[in-house]
Amino acid sequence: MRILILGLDGAGKTTILYRLQVGEVVTTIPTIGFNVETVTYKNLKFQVWDLGGQTSIRPYWRCYYSNTDAVIYVVDSCDRDRIGTSKSELVAMLEEEELKKAILVVFANKQDMEQAMTPTEMANALGLPALKDRKWQIFKTSATKGTGLDEAMEWLVEALKSRQ
Amino acid sequence: MFAKLKKKIAEEAAVAPRPAGAARIPRSVSKESITSVGADSGDDFASDGSSSREDLSSQLFRRNEQIRKLEVKLSASMRKFQEQNEAHQASRAKMAEGMALALEKKDKEKKMLQTQLQEMREQSLNLFQKRDEIDELEGFQQQEIAKVKHMLLKKEESLSRTEQELEACAQELTQAKAELQEARSESSSLRKDLQDLQQQLLELQAQRDELMTAETNAENKITALELREQELQTVIQQLSVDLQNITFEFAEKNKLTEQLQEKVSSLEKKLERNLSGDEHVQELLKEKAAVEQRLEESRQQVLTDRTQHSEAVSRLESQVSGLSHNLSIISGLQNEMSSREAVSVEIAKALEETRKQREELQQQVSHLNALMKEKDQLLDEKCDLLLKQKEELNQLSQELEESTRALNNEHFPSPENSVVEQNGEVAAADVTQLQKDNRELEQQIAEKNKMIKQLQQRMTELKKTLQKELKIRPDSEVPELREKANSEVPNASVTVTNNSDLNDSREINFEYLKHVVLKFMSCRESEAFHLIKAVSVLLNFSQEEENMLKETLEYKMSWFGSKPSPKGSIRPSISSPRTLWP
Repeated sequence: MRILILGLDGAGKTTILYRLQVGEVVTTIPTIGFNVETVTYKNLKFQVWDLGGQTSIRPYWRCYYSNTDAVIYVVDSCDRDRIGTSKSELVAMLEEEELKKAILVVFANKQDMEQAMTPTEMANALGLPALKDRKWQIFKTSATKGTGLDEAMEWLVEALKSRQ
Repeated sequence: MFAKLKKKIAEEAAVAPRPAGAARIPRSVSKESITSVGADSGDDFASDGSSSREDLSSQLFRRNEQIRKLEVKLSASMRKFQEQNEAHQASRAKMAEGMALALEKKDKEKKMLQTQLQEMREQSLNLFQKRDEIDELEGFQQQEIAKVKHMLLKKEESLSRTEQELEACAQELTQAKAELQEARSESSSLRKDLQDLQQQLLELQAQRDELMTAETNAENKITALELREQELQTVIQQLSVDLQNITFEFAEKNKLTEQLQEKVSSLEKKLERNLSGDEHVQELLKEKAAVEQRLEESRQQVLTDRTQHSEAVSRLESQVSGLSHNLSIISGLQNEMSSREAVSVEIAKALEETRKQREELQQQVSHLNALMKEKDQLLDEKCDLLLKQKEELNQLSQELEESTRALNNEHFPSPENSVVEQNGEVAAADVTQLQKDNRELEQQIAEKNKMIKQLQQRMTELKKTLQKELKIRPDSEVPELREKANSEVPNASVTVTNNSDLNDSREINFEYLKHVVLKFMSCRESEAFHLIKAVSVLLNFSQEEENMLKETLEYKMSWFGSKPSPKGSIRPSISSPRTLWP
């Protein structure tokens, strides 16, 4: 199973990857490049790719799209200014032929912060309800507190199983 | 060295004061003495181990005595030893004391020097800091001065501009005032004219009214006369009809008289023939005479009637002529009246025109007044602005003075103050000197600014050329990424806009490439397989090269299969890529 973690810079992709892999909060620096780790969840092994989200290296995401089973799209719930950018990146990504069959899980991350957007608010801002032919779900998460990740991964596992 | 010496001195000092009290010698000080004592008595203890307590006590006592003796001996020998050593020790002690004293002195000196050094360091640090601060301050002040100067220049410019505007306004105002004066005089003259005209008009109207009444009277008369004329005409007509009737009657009567004359003549003939009837003839003659008389009477009556008629006619004719005369007079009056009316109409027209002119003039005057007011307002505003600017200017100049003063103070804080206390003139000279310096510095700054501007222009030109050159390159850099006309594509948008961004993105791209290649080379093959695409894009591999990489990796990952033959693209020195290795 191959999963990509995508999202704008500073959304918390790397923190989520290592929270999933070792269950701890690690100190991260901006990822210029990528991190790839094997995550085992419910006896399922995932090769999880966390790709750097800085503007200049976002165009390289598409080099990693082939043979991807699921995309975890991480969004900073407090970054209302760049939700539009996040949406356009998401839309561009979902238009890719190589990702036609990939399942989409959106992590409305940083829910521990005040003034965080609600999942419905974010889903509307990202235009998720308008998606067609796409299995998707949105979860509110906090990578630093570790909340919401289990539910999201459980749903993802079930979705991947039912797809096979 | 000193430590050893000290230790020795201490040892000797500890041993020296109590040579007799050997039993109390502390172990730590002299182990040797104890061990030696113990060694002496150790054998005795061992040999007498089985004797009774009294023996033991007596033995102990003896032993103690022995010990004492031994101790006395020991002390004697120690004394000797000490005496032997004393000289040596004294000399040593002296030396040590000397040394210690020297050492202390040195230590003190050292400490002093260290403290001094510390102080000096601190002072130097403080000095450095102060110098830095002063430099910074100077920089700030220069900036500040430059700003203030710039502002001052701007303000002065604006002031001069506003002054010019003000002057222009004042000129306009005076012009407008003159115009207004002229217009006022004009308007007053026009008013006078108007008044005259109005008076004339009034007079004319009065005249006209009089004439009108006269006209109406005349018309009344005319109508009355016309009525009388008509009546007279009807009377004339009646009279003419009467005359016709009378002439008719006269003609008839003439016929009758002719008939009667014929009858008379016939009767006379008859009479001539019939003389018999004289009487009858006489009667007839009488009748005839009577008839003739009546005829005569009727003729006379007709004549009188005629004369009467002719008289009446003549009278009427005279009356008619009089009336016609009257009529002509009236018509003349009417003509006069009409001409008067025309004149009055013309006058009214002229009056109307003058009224219009007056209104126009009044409008002009009001317009000029409004203009005057506007000008006044503008003038007031300008004055206010000027005042404000002057105030600002004053403020700025004050600030400048203050800042220069502050600068001077900070530049030469201690000397100037002392000098001021000593001599005011010198300070003033200093101040002027400083101001001169300041000006020179300002000039220098201005020159530097010019140079900076020139350099900046050159830099922008260079940037432009660089950008032009760079514009050509990104096309070949990330061709696949540029397929998407996305605003987020890094090089396309960034290269054009900013150089630093370009460097940033390039740096990041390089960093990214490095990371990907490193991972590609170090990670497992299954992961590396997913990185082929990224590496190919980053290094601009051709499709063939990418495929070759894939095949190689597949071969590495599989247990069987043959190693794929490398294709041309990795042999840059061979022209035809299709030729195989021998």
